[in-house]
Amino acid sequence: MHHSVELTDVHVRLGHVAVLSGINIEARPCELISVVGANGAGKTTLLKVVNGILKPSQGRITVLGYNLSQYKNLNFLRRDIGVVPQRSNSIRFPIRVEEAVLMGRYGKIGLMRRPRKEDWDKAFEIMEAVGIRQFCKKLVHELSGGEQQKVALARALAQEPLILLLDEPTTYLDSSAQSEIMETIHTLHHQRELTTLLVSHDSHLVEQYSDKIYLLREGKSCLVK
Amino acid sequence: MSWTQILNFPFMQHALIAILFAGIAFPMIGVFILSLNLIPLRFAMMHVALLGGAIGLFLKVDPLLLGLLFCILSSMALGPVSEKMRLGVGILSGYFMTLTLALAFILIYKADIHVLEAFNILWGNILSLTILDLIIVGLISLMILIMVFLFFKEIQAILYDREIALAVGLPEKLFYYLIIFMLGLTIAVSMRLIGALLIDAFVLLPAMAATFISRSLKQTFFFSSLFGLLSGMAGLYLSFVFDIPTSSTIILVASLIIAGCFLFRKGVSRREKVR
Repeated sequence: MHHSVELTDVHVRLGHVAVLSGINIEARPCELISVVGANGAGKTTLLKVVNGILKPSQGRITVLGYNLSQYKNLNFLRRDIGVVPQRSNSIRFPIRVEEAVLMGRYGKIGLMRRPRKEDWDKAFEIMEAVGIRQFCKKLVHELSGGEQQKVALARALAQEPLILLLDEPTTYLDSSAQSEIMETIHTLHHQRELTTLLVSHDSHLVEQYSDKIYLLREGKSCLVK
Repeated sequence: MSWTQILNFPFMQHALIAILFAGIAFPMIGVFILSLNLIPLRFAMMHVALLGGAIGLFLKVDPLLLGLLFCILSSMALGPVSEKMRLGVGILSGYFMTLTLALAFILIYKADIHVLEAFNILWGNILSLTILDLIIVGLISLMILIMVFLFFKEIQAILYDREIALAVGLPEKLFYYLIIFMLGLTIAVSMRLIGALLIDAFVLLPAMAATFISRSLKQTFFFSSLFGLLSGMAGLYLSFVFDIPTSSTIILVASLIIAGCFLFRKGVSRREKVR
């Protein structure tokens, strides 16, 4: 069985700054891996490398058996990778919750095609599972931080991904909302047999949910659990 | 005075046709500008056109043609160059804007070009449109409408969040460059046809008004087109009746619509708070 995600001696430079210098991480299918580290440790960069947005200066990245350096266009692979960014850039964009979740299907629907009934059904099924079905007609920016995070999670899951990447999913949330979102992630990770890679600065919060934990410090990774 | 009387004049017929096209389609470009924060690009295009015009006058080539060519080429280049340099299009537009203006002034001074002649490229007049002008406005309007209709979901994802558009597996860069190209093309062509001042009336103001009251991107496009059409037609009519400049009247009407939409939103949110 190949690893769902495997990073071997990965180095990343942004300009003259070495952000990651010798990262070794492996996530097997259905594992929930957490990468913890302080702010500025390179956690978001790490996720961008896994998603093929940033290219490493050195090292090998394999995702679902594909060596990323061999592909110029990774859109085919991104359709199998759900991403929950730290926070959406669009604070006041007029979009209803149901539309934002349906967006997760856009890559699979194909260019110039309208969403079909099964795409809507999938979006509503995910909203139900994540617990935001009752907000489906509300605008995303009208929701609380925790609810918005659930919308982002639902959108990523609507892709029906094999891999889920989560960038600080609990930032900006109060402690009860943090636990609630982590519980939701954990449950859906098992139900949908996902390989989940989560980055967080809060090692205590993610510990009980993680199969493995890597610590990211000074651009290097080490397995701590 | 009725519309029938006004439309006895051929120049008013042309203006009305231009408003029907531009009023519906150009505000959609305004929605792109506001959502992607591309306002500097609009100014950059004006200055690029000025440089093209100045070079055209220097080389004794049609300044309008060269201005348009410069705008089209720079709108094609801006997206990829900003990506390569890891700079936002807004920042790069600021660079282009100042650089091209400086170059244009040097050329105007050194080549002894009449300043007003060079600036002519920026001032169009909606009341002096030819059939060819109308065809160009019509074609660009159609291109915008077709793009929005065919690629609505891709555009929605990019305007919402480019990172998410990329993450769900859309060719995000391709569509972003297409949006920038259409924006440059619209501004470049319409600058000469309807004037730099009127571009804002058609492109930005209706889109601004629509963002105050819309609850979805479809509504934003719909209301921006509706307001573009309304302000254009009302402005044209009133300017004729009261004998005042058309561009300014259209802008006044559009500004009133913005104020109305803002008050409407205030009222709605106050009612929601009371509930």
